[in-house]
Amino acid sequence: MKALLIGEYRQGKLLDTTYELKAFADRLGADSVMLLVGSDSELPKYDGTLYLADAAKYGEYNPDQHKQLVLQAVEKENPDCIVFVHSSYGWDLAPRVAVALKAGQVSEIVALNEGAYEVNACNAKLRRTVTPKSGRCVLTIQAGAFTPSGEPQGTPQPERLELSGTASAIEFVGYEAAEQKGVDLSKAEVIVSAGRGVGKKDNVPVIAALASALGGELGASRPVVDAGWVDHSHQVGTTGQTVSPKLYVACGISGAIQHLAGMKKADFIVAINKDKDAPIGEIADVLVVADVMQFVPAFTAKCAR
Amino acid sequence: MLVVACIKQVPDTTQVQIDPVTNTLVREGIPFIVNPYDAHALEEALRLKDRFGFRVAALSMGPPNAEATLKKALALGVDEAILLSDRVFGGADTLATSRVLSEAIGRLNLREKVGIVICGKQTIDGDTAQVGPGIATRLGYTQLTLVDRIEKLDPLLGRITVRRKLEGRHETVEAPLPVLLTVVRELNRPRYPTVPMRLESAEATVQVWSNRELQLDQEGIGLKGSPTWVSRIFSPERQKGEIVGDGAADPAGAADLLVDKLLSRDLLVV
Repeated sequence: MKALLIGEYRQGKLLDTTYELKAFADRLGADSVMLLVGSDSELPKYDGTLYLADAAKYGEYNPDQHKQLVLQAVEKENPDCIVFVHSSYGWDLAPRVAVALKAGQVSEIVALNEGAYEVNACNAKLRRTVTPKSGRCVLTIQAGAFTPSGEPQGTPQPERLELSGTASAIEFVGYEAAEQKGVDLSKAEVIVSAGRGVGKKDNVPVIAALASALGGELGASRPVVDAGWVDHSHQVGTTGQTVSPKLYVACGISGAIQHLAGMKKADFIVAINKDKDAPIGEIADVLVVADVMQFVPAFTAKCAR
Repeated sequence: MLVVACIKQVPDTTQVQIDPVTNTLVREGIPFIVNPYDAHALEEALRLKDRFGFRVAALSMGPPNAEATLKKALALGVDEAILLSDRVFGGADTLATSRVLSEAIGRLNLREKVGIVICGKQTIDGDTAQVGPGIATRLGYTQLTLVDRIEKLDPLLGRITVRRKLEGRHETVEAPLPVLLTVVRELNRPRYPTVPMRLESAEATVQVWSNRELQLDQEGIGLKGSPTWVSRIFSPERQKGEIVGDGAADPAGAADLLVDKLLSRDLLVV
């Protein structure tokens, strides 16, 4: 089995998730080659063939050109699978490659299971085992699901890739940084977050009181922000802030994957939830199975004592 | 110009329950909703209608009961609603699904030029994010994913400028029509149907197209046309998360135990 790994380069840097692709290939027991649209100054530590195209020429991302580059490497290597990280890059590029190759695609793989792939469904409440029927397939892996076992090392053998034409339908206009405002949760040591389980806006102060009793900041999940109960600047998750406090208390948060991605690096996670099977329980260190509005006031009282 | 919004009826995943014995999805009694991302796609199509006077079609593939979702789209103001429903479409993965949807869009394009197709960035039940791009590639439309703002649209020049939401930054790109956009929630706030529109749409009919209309080769659609198949669906095992006390019956007792836990890890300053 041979895997073509598509490395990722962003804002002048090789992304560490590139090494997760290699970890995935190893787990799969596959030989691998890598493709990177990047730069000579940021080569991955990787023993093997590296198809290298110049980002200065083909952009950090240009859908048409990057697709052509991947297809070139596919033609040279005839791989069984082409593996991307499930980032905005893989999100956009992988399906283009899959349809061009008429190959099946499995998105956001979280685990391997005897030659089949496991992916989350229904907000990570369920898992599906997906088996590709076609010979060749396109895969994207969830960032963080396949971590390398040690420090990456190795020296790649670069092979240059060039495109004959550089025409592209999509014209790049510019990048702008996402607006940052309000509370900076990324530096907080303690965060207490409110989820849909708090029930209504009037109950949010109960969670804020626990946050202040623990000396921390108030966080929130997406539905709570969308409902207007808490300002967006408090949102934790892929569309909010990514946090890594010492203590994270999730109150009435079921644990949508986008939320988990934003807080799973917390040192210690306490989840308070009615549903003992909620996905938040998968990454929580301790779980209190209770109604948030019954339990939190009792807990705050003990903490404030 | 015709704008097509692709929408899918999905189970409300916040209410999905797992059968503890069979470890599978309990399907009875789960309410169906419009895939939340698709609601934003539909809203954006309607805003383009308001601004430019384009006609809007809502398109969905699904079982006959998905008609309810398309009825809602009619109540919101789409000009026509088409349900692609046939047993031979069933069991389709994303490749086979995008085949049927793109064929239907191709048919619509014969009647009136399609300029923009809008899809949600992903569905909440499948989470694959492949169907939109699949449609774009098949139809040869420009694919723009993760769109959080339409900056500019010039129907005469046939060009669109959009902002895409990436990790920690945004990217602005310009592209020629026809385009397929997949959109994120930040794009807009979906409207609610008014009572008169709701009443009016009660009369409106959803067109149902089966494979008699589309005439697709059965090898390329449904289960047969799907290069991937789901062999098992199950509830993942919990790896971590020690349950502390009985929070429901004895909140105070559980709170004591939790305080002890935090104290032992030096996470609580008393």
